[in-house]
Amino acid sequence: MSKFIIQVNSAAYGSASSYSAYRFAKAAIENGHTIEKVFFYQDGVLNTNHLNSPASDEFDLKQAWVELHQLHGVALVNCVSAALRRGVLSESEAKENQYSHWNMQAPFTMGGLGELVIGIETADRLVSF
Amino acid sequence: MKKLCIIFRQAPHGTAHGREGLDLSLLSASFEQEVSLLFSDEGLLTLLKSQDPESIGSKDYIAALGALSLYDIETVLVCQESMQALGLELEDLRIDLSAALPTEISKHLAEVDEVLVF
Amino acid sequence: MILHHIQDSVEQSSGLTTCLRYIALGDSILLSGNAINCLLKREWRAKLANLRVVALKEDVNARGLQDYLKDVKQISYNEFVELSLEHEKVISW
Repeated sequence: MSKFIIQVNSAAYGSASSYSAYRFAKAAIENGHTIEKVFFYQDGVLNTNHLNSPASDEFDLKQAWVELHQLHGVALVNCVSAALRRGVLSESEAKENQYSHWNMQAPFTMGGLGELVIGIETADRLVSF
Repeated sequence: MKKLCIIFRQAPHGTAHGREGLDLSLLSASFEQEVSLLFSDEGLLTLLKSQDPESIGSKDYIAALGALSLYDIETVLVCQESMQALGLELEDLRIDLSAALPTEISKHLAEVDEVLVF
Repeated sequence: MILHHIQDSVEQSSGLTTCLRYIALGDSILLSGNAINCLLKREWRAKLANLRVVALKEDVNARGLQDYLKDVKQISYNEFVELSLEHEKVISW
C-alpha cells in the first residue's frame, strides 16, 4: 500500500486533466492505496469554485471531489495565493479583502505552497495532472 | 528532505507557469528540500537579460532569480540543445551557469526524487 | 526508471518532444488525453518506435481511436496507478 499526493494544475472545465486526476485518485483508493492530499495549484484552484454550475446532465467534477473527501477523507487543499489571483476566495479571505461574497467552502481548504512541499515529502509518490 | 527538480519548459510572461514554478522553487528550498532547476525549450528565455515584464502588466519575478544562492539552490541546469535551437549563448543569460547535454539532464532526472514541470 | 506522462496534443505542447530528448533506457511513456492522437501520425510513430509506450484505454475509446490503435498497449486507470508505483517517479510533461 502506497501513499500518493495528487497535484491538479488545470481548470475543472475546459481541460480534461482534472477529470483524469480525479479518476486516478479514485482508482488508487480502489487499489488499496491512500491519497495523502489533493493539492490544487495554478488553474487547478478553479476546481474548488463552489459556484461552478455544470448543466444537470453533465459530470460535476467539483461534487466528485467533495464525495472523494466524504467517502475517503481525502484532504482537498488549495494554494491560497494561486486561488486569490484567480478569484477563488473562502469566507476569511473575502472578509480580509472587504468582499461580501466568497465562492470556496469546506471540504476544500486554503493552504500555502508549503502544504504541497510537505505532502511531497511525506508521500511515496507525486502524480501531477 | 527530498530532492526536487523543477523544470521551466514554457516561456515566461505569456502564461503564469514560470512565475508559479519559481514561487514553488523558492518555497521548496525554504522548506529544506534539495531543489534543482532545469531551464529547457522556451523556458530558458526566463534567463535573458534586460527583460521588462512590468511594461506588459506582468510582475518582475525574474529579479528573484538573482537570489537563488540565498535559498541554497545551487544546481541550475540549462539545456544545451534548447540553447542552440534558440540561438543563444551563455553570455546572453543573467546567471552564471554551464549548459548541460541531454544525457547529463537524463542522469540528473534519474537521481532526484520528484520532478515538477512548469 | 521514470514514467513519462503526456496529456496534451503534440500540436499544442512541446511536452512529448522534451520528454523524448531526456528519456532514458528503462523509462516508459504513458499517453493520455489528446496526447494519444500523435499515434495516428507516421512521424510520431517513428519517433516512439523503440520505446515502451502505453495509452490510457478510456481516452482512446472516448476518442473513437480503438480501431486505429490496436497495436498499442492500452491500460486502465487501475493499471496507471500500479505503473506509477513500478517506476521510481512520474514526470507529467
